[in-house]
Parts: sequence; structure tokens; C-alpha cells
Amino acid sequence: MKLKIVCMSMALFLAGLVPLMAQDDDDDDWDIYGDLELVDDSNVKRYARPTIVGLSPTRFFSLSYDRQLAYTMNLSAARFPASGNSGWAVDEDAPVSESGRVNFTGGVRFNSNIPVISKSNLVWQSGLNYMRVGYNISDINSQSDASGLTQTLDERGLNNLNWTNTFFVPISEQNFFIIQAGLDMSGDYSWGLQPFNTVRWSLAAVYAKRVSESKRWGLGLARTYRVGNLNYVPVVMYDVTSANRKWGTEILFPARAHGRYNFSKNSLLLFGYELEGQSYRINDFSVGNNSYEIRRGELRPRLEFQKQVSGPFWMHVQAGYRMDWTFNADELEGSREFFRGFFGTQQFGMVNNLSNAVYFNIGISFVTL
Amino acid sequence: MKKLLAVVAFLFSSAFVMAQDADALVGVWEPGHGKARVKIDNIDGKYYGRIVWLKEPNDPNTGKPKTDVNNPDESMKNVPLRGYRMLKDFTYKGKGVWEDGTIYDPESGNTYSSVITMKDENTLDIRGFVGVKTFGRSDTWRKLKIN
Repeated sequence: MKLKIVCMSMALFLAGLVPLMAQDDDDDDWDIYGDLELVDDSNVKRYARPTIVGLSPTRFFSLSYDRQLAYTMNLSAARFPASGNSGWAVDEDAPVSESGRVNFTGGVRFNSNIPVISKSNLVWQSGLNYMRVGYNISDINSQSDASGLTQTLDERGLNNLNWTNTFFVPISEQNFFIIQAGLDMSGDYSWGLQPFNTVRWSLAAVYAKRVSESKRWGLGLARTYRVGNLNYVPVVMYDVTSANRKWGTEILFPARAHGRYNFSKNSLLLFGYELEGQSYRINDFSVGNNSYEIRRGELRPRLEFQKQVSGPFWMHVQAGYRMDWTFNADELEGSREFFRGFFGTQQFGMVNNLSNAVYFNIGISFVTL
Repeated sequence: MKKLLAVVAFLFSSAFVMAQDADALVGVWEPGHGKARVKIDNIDGKYYGRIVWLKEPNDPNTGKPKTDVNNPDESMKNVPLRGYRMLKDFTYKGKGVWEDGTIYDPESGNTYSSVITMKDENTLDIRGFVGVKTFGRSDTWRKLKIN
């Protein structure tokens, strides 16, 4: 009997040791893990990741201040082609009716990009954005037919409210779609906003391939207001990071294209350009249900330094040259948008020119690492 | 006395069931990308996960076993990825949820706060996030059979 008890005790003791020993064995023999099979291998699908290594961090929230140094603004008289078809031809150099020195252009910018759904098979991010472009204009020189736009800009400035939704839809381990849709209300409005039929929409769709953890490219099409007027343009995405992770590109042509140098994981430099623009309704010039809109478009070659401040908080300092792409105006009959593109002949309501200027932008962001 | 015994028995059985539920996390799991396998263990009541298998165990440039080259800590860059503890400090909160842990992404070298939710006995939802859970991304991990 005693022997039986001893034997049983030994057996229990050894049985208790087996899992411990097995655990140690597991740790030494890594190969056994390669032979394991999924308990349930139905519906297993692999998806491409949304990013590659080395990219500048994605901003969840960003607050920045943008300012242009002084420049000269030259404006033509305002005409109303929609009602009388008497505007300025697209290739016409209209005489200057009003000019001024713009001492200040800029203001606060707030951007958000909140993940609504963030899974391996779908990422949906939604963001509300606000951009202020205030003006301080002096030395105004007006002819008798001047529109008074300098005074309007000086007193009211321009505002943009934007709601953007971005969808990342992977279809395989390498291939994915990026779809981005935006709504913009832009104008010289204040708290009362402006008619909702002046809300403009943008859309971009890109088919892309994540070739490796350090390279992805894509091709697509966009309906955009990047340079003021409505336009349809092809989109080329090309993001790559070098093997040593120091150099790279972040390109979404034509909207922006940057080279990148990573000083470390906590700081980087971007060098390239961005196109920026919107169609801004000027309330005093909008007669009846028509919408008189400044097609503001800028090309901004620039340098941007980004640095981690603490944890997910990063700061950026940007300096560059603001080049006037267009500041012309259109009258939209019934507030309905029209397409001029690169080759349309529709007349302008105003033909304006801004001299180019140095600008800077400084801001802080809450980012994903 | 009988009541006291019943309460003690209930407490013990509850604790046992809780521990059983908590240890449902223990095992070998495969992340959604399928390029690695992670073994999760219970160590003194907390849960840790080590990379035990890599689809590509060697660096294609050097032919040597992959190391944690993306770790921001210079002293960690030569540590082999296989065997690397990428899940740390998870504690069971009940109802199939493990919280207060961190997950390390060897591809980016970043560490995120993380919460694990068991969708069913063979599927985990692992969410890495920055600050609050909203600012994060979820991945589905699947359990592997241990023969």
C-alpha cells in the first residue's frame, strides 16, 4: 500500500514537471512553431498595411499658424459674366483697377483626422478642418471702377470649413484602394456661414500597391479644388524609404511632393511643394442666387522640419515661398459649379494678380507614432 | 457555518473560473499579416507574448537572423527578433478582456498601449493605441493548434 502511495506521488510529481519541461523545450526548439496549424483556418485573409516604414507621422489633431510676408495685390474691375457674358477672357490681361500692399495674410489652421474604424480590413478616418486667411491691406489705390474687394478682404478675410473622410480598403496582402471625399464651405462668411448650395465637394480614388515595408505606389483620379478652380487630374502616389531609413519620398502628385530626410526616429525634414486652394464666395458680390467666388490657388515650395516634443506630441516649422497660381474670380449662376479645366474658355469675373511672398507655418500635432 | 463554507466555496470556485477564463489567452497565436507567431504565457498573473516564429527568419540583406534593428534603443538593435517579448504586462479584467499592456511593432520600432479582446476561443482582437483607444488600430489574431 505504501509503495502504491509513493508510486502515485512520484507519478503526480513527474506529471506536474512535464509541462514545465515542455515549456523549456518549446523555447529552445523554435522550429516546432513553424509546423503548427490554425485551429480554424476558414476565412483567413491577409491584408496590406496602410503605411510603410519611415513616413512622417500621421496627425490626429493639428493646430498651426500660417503667415505670409508682405506683397502687392492687383485686382481688375469686377464683371458679371453669368448674367451678361461680359467678363474677362481667359487669356486676357485685365487692367488694374485696385491695388494695395498686403501686410498680413494668414491665420489659424485646425485639422483633425479621427479613426472611426481602424481594422486590418478597413480604415475609415474622418476629420473636421478649419482654415482662416485673414488680410491686412494698406496703401489702397482705387480707380473709379474698382470693386472694393481689398476692403472686403481686409475687413472680413476668408474662411474655410472642411469635412474629409478617408477610406483605406485593402483587397490583398499588397493591393489596396484609398478613397478620400471632402466637403468645403469657403467664403468671407462669419458665424452666420453662407448658403449650403455653395458647399463644394472633392473626391480622389487611388489604386495602390504596397510592394514592401519600405515602398508603395499608386495611381488614381481626383476631382479637386487644389488650385482654386474645379479640376479633374490624375493622381500618382509614390512613397519609398531607403534601406538605411534616412532618405525617402512622400508624393501624392499633383497635390504635394516631398523628399524626406529622417535625422532620427524623432525628427525629420521634408522638402518639396504643396498646392493649396479653394473657391471662396464673396457675399457682397453674390447677386441673387448667384455665387461670386475667388478661385484662390497657391503653389508652395517649402521646407518643413518636424520634431517630437513629447510622446505623441510633435511640432513642425515650415518655411517656403507662396507663389500665386490664381486669384481670379468667377460668377457661378445659381451657385452651380462649372468645369473650365486647363482648356475651357469660360470668362472670368475678375483677373487678379498677387506678387509672390515668403511664408511660414508653425504648429503642434498629436500624432500616431 | 454551512453558510460560511458555501461562501468560501463560491469565492474559490469564482476565482478558479476567473483564472481559467484569463488563461484562455495562453497559447500560440498568429497576427493578421501571418508573418510571425506569438506565444502568450501567464507569468505571475500577467500575460506576456514572445515572437516564436518568423516567416522570414533571416535578414535578406545579411542572411543572418533578423534582429530588432528598428528599436529606438541602440542597445536593443542586436537583440534577435525570434524570442522577442512584444506583448507585455496584460492583466485580465474579466469578460474576455485583457488590459494595461503594451504591444511592440518591430516593423516601426514603436510601442503602443494595448487591449486584447477575445472574440471567440480561437480569435483575438488586439488593439494598439496612442493615449486613448480611439486613436489606434485593431488586428485579428488566430489561435494555432498545439499538437
